[in-house]
Amino acid sequence: MKKILTALSLLLLAGLVLSACQPAAQPTPETIVQTVEVPVTQEVIVTEVVTQEVEVPAERVEIRLSGWAANPQETALLESLLYKFNVANPDIVVKYEPITGDYWQAINTMVATGEEPDVYYMDIFQFPAFAQNQVLLPLDDYMAESGVSREEFIPALIDAFTFEGATYGIPKDFNTLGLFYNRDLFAAAGLDEPTDDWTWDELRAAAEATTDSANNIYGFGVPADPGRFPVFVFQNGGRIMSEDFSDTLLDSAEAVAAAEFYTNFRKDSVGAIPGDLGEGWQGTLFGKGQLAMVYEGGWLIPYLKEQFPDINYGVVNPPAGPAGEGNLIFTVAYVISPNSKNPEAAWRLIEFLTNEESQTAVLTSGFALPSRISLQEHEYLANNPASAAIFRGALTGAHPFMWGIVGSDVNDQMGKALERVYVEDQPVAEALAEAAEAIRNAIQQSQ
Amino acid sequence: MAAIPGARTKRRKRSEALTAYAFLAPYLFIFTVFMLFSLIYTVYLSFTRYNLLRPPEFWGLEGWERVLTDELFMTKALPNTFKYVLIVVPVQTVLSLVLAFAMDQKLRGRRLFRTIFYLPSITSSVVISLIFVWLFSPIGVINQLFNLNVNWLGDQRTAFYTIMLVNIFTTSGTLMLIFLAGLQDIPVTLYEAAEIDGANKLQSFLYVTIPLLRPVLFFVVTVGVIGGFQVFDQIFIMTEGGPVDSTTTIAYIIYKWAFRDTTIKMGQAAVAAVILMVIIFVITMLQRRVIEGSGTAV
Repeated sequence: MKKILTALSLLLLAGLVLSACQPAAQPTPETIVQTVEVPVTQEVIVTEVVTQEVEVPAERVEIRLSGWAANPQETALLESLLYKFNVANPDIVVKYEPITGDYWQAINTMVATGEEPDVYYMDIFQFPAFAQNQVLLPLDDYMAESGVSREEFIPALIDAFTFEGATYGIPKDFNTLGLFYNRDLFAAAGLDEPTDDWTWDELRAAAEATTDSANNIYGFGVPADPGRFPVFVFQNGGRIMSEDFSDTLLDSAEAVAAAEFYTNFRKDSVGAIPGDLGEGWQGTLFGKGQLAMVYEGGWLIPYLKEQFPDINYGVVNPPAGPAGEGNLIFTVAYVISPNSKNPEAAWRLIEFLTNEESQTAVLTSGFALPSRISLQEHEYLANNPASAAIFRGALTGAHPFMWGIVGSDVNDQMGKALERVYVEDQPVAEALAEAAEAIRNAIQQSQ
Repeated sequence: MAAIPGARTKRRKRSEALTAYAFLAPYLFIFTVFMLFSLIYTVYLSFTRYNLLRPPEFWGLEGWERVLTDELFMTKALPNTFKYVLIVVPVQTVLSLVLAFAMDQKLRGRRLFRTIFYLPSITSSVVISLIFVWLFSPIGVINQLFNLNVNWLGDQRTAFYTIMLVNIFTTSGTLMLIFLAGLQDIPVTLYEAAEIDGANKLQSFLYVTIPLLRPVLFFVVTVGVIGGFQVFDQIFIMTEGGPVDSTTTIAYIIYKWAFRDTTIKMGQAAVAAVILMVIIFVITMLQRRVIEGSGTAV
């Protein structure tokens, strides 16, 4: 007992001496010494906890930050960045309030009552509705003041969060689609592995060669998914929506031909939808070796590593179509609420979370790709060709996964049109014409 | 002399009423805030255009007109909901009555059976839905057991019936328990009297059990109809209204318009909610007439 007491008092003494050593830098009325634990992330898992002592000014502002919690590792990464921010900005307290469950339901109702967090995640798909209803703070003045330029970010990403000439969000990360292919199935079929120079013809030929329907193995995954199919429309020179989102181009000749090409994989039994093989997601079927090729994003990489560590696969850019390359960008930004009482502090948080150092941490964590263009030369990408292929996708004919304010209607109709082709054998042109009509109706009603 | 006890009872009555209200107060408060206010506010919202991001603006009957001409609502949600109730309620009522009748007999191990039948009712509907998703997947147990190749939830011809099956499975247990309580309330003497009069098992079931079960039957059918019209969670988990809208119901469309669409249509969702409320109200009143009106007073 006495020993413990001695040890404790020694510790206390050491603490006092240490705190006395700290220079009294800030001219704040009183400074408190607080112990902050800083977890240092190495690769994926928090491996080390460093104890640091930081001076905390008495007057601090509070910033609420909300996002969805994708997985524990990603949360750990964000928290480690927030600790670093806290150390660097002792006058700002960040309250991280992750939202579990339905994120948009929560954010929408919070915006309705003016209770939304100062800083929150904004998905590109939802962005048009928020921008059009003027519930986001334009960031251009803050960017100019702190010397952050739009050119530092991948153009397709920063452009996506621009509305009527103003920047409303700083992209935090992104994903595109890559052609994931199973090396063993390619070798068994005696095929050369795909390259970034592949075209539709080679994709189709590879699907035919790798299909082994007797063993429930199909060449290519063609889900009725509005998050996959548009790639083919872009590659065929078409678009889903017109430039100003006032009309849909889903019934254009380019889109119809793309849909023919896409749905024919299944019609000719060289492609399959997940339901055909008893799964909800084609990523699982790729892992099980039942689909030789799928279009998926970077999220499939950690999933395969965890669930199917033995699979031997590669990733290249989606093969080009008649009109060249095309891809979809899925991206999320940090936005600031105009109701924020401390927009400067909120901006400092965003600036920190998207600076080069934080973005490097995002990249090396392996969960997502950083939005800063300078990081395309980072050695992590050289060592991880799969991630590099996904990163390159943003620079080659990619369009954001966003269809204006009627986005959910466009998604619903696109998915249903493909379902009708698959389930009811409806002719492709008819299915897309029906979808386009419903979308036009929704656009009209949204005005 | 007579006046004094009268005043006393009056006073006592008043204090009794006060006590009653005091006991009721917490519930009345919650009822007013969360039910009455919400109800009135929903009716108000049905006459507005409201996307949550901007304050509601008065819109007159525009929202009503849009809902009543909406293809998804008129040709899918509304008929689907009625179809659901018309199939699920009779099946689950008959099934639970039969189960209750069987459990009322002196069967060996009936306690065990009773527990087994009741188990689905106390299990989370999300869990049951997920179990059914696996059972009815193309490579699931059902297909393998019966050597079928049906994509139950992926095919619009079967998806809605699969969801009906889940609901019948989960609710029958509760309804069975209610019927069982009703059955055990029927005095044995009545059956003995029927037996003496020469009634066989079927006759005593039809002419003794059924009439005396009428109030319970009304309760079970009402609960079934209300629950049927409001079916949501199984659809939300299992099909999200698909494939090709074949499982979209009124409750699901309310959720879709209010929270899932990028163009939030709170006003139209409120219209659909009011319509659903009126439908349930009218049908419950009709039912009351039909079930209570015929036969002896209950």
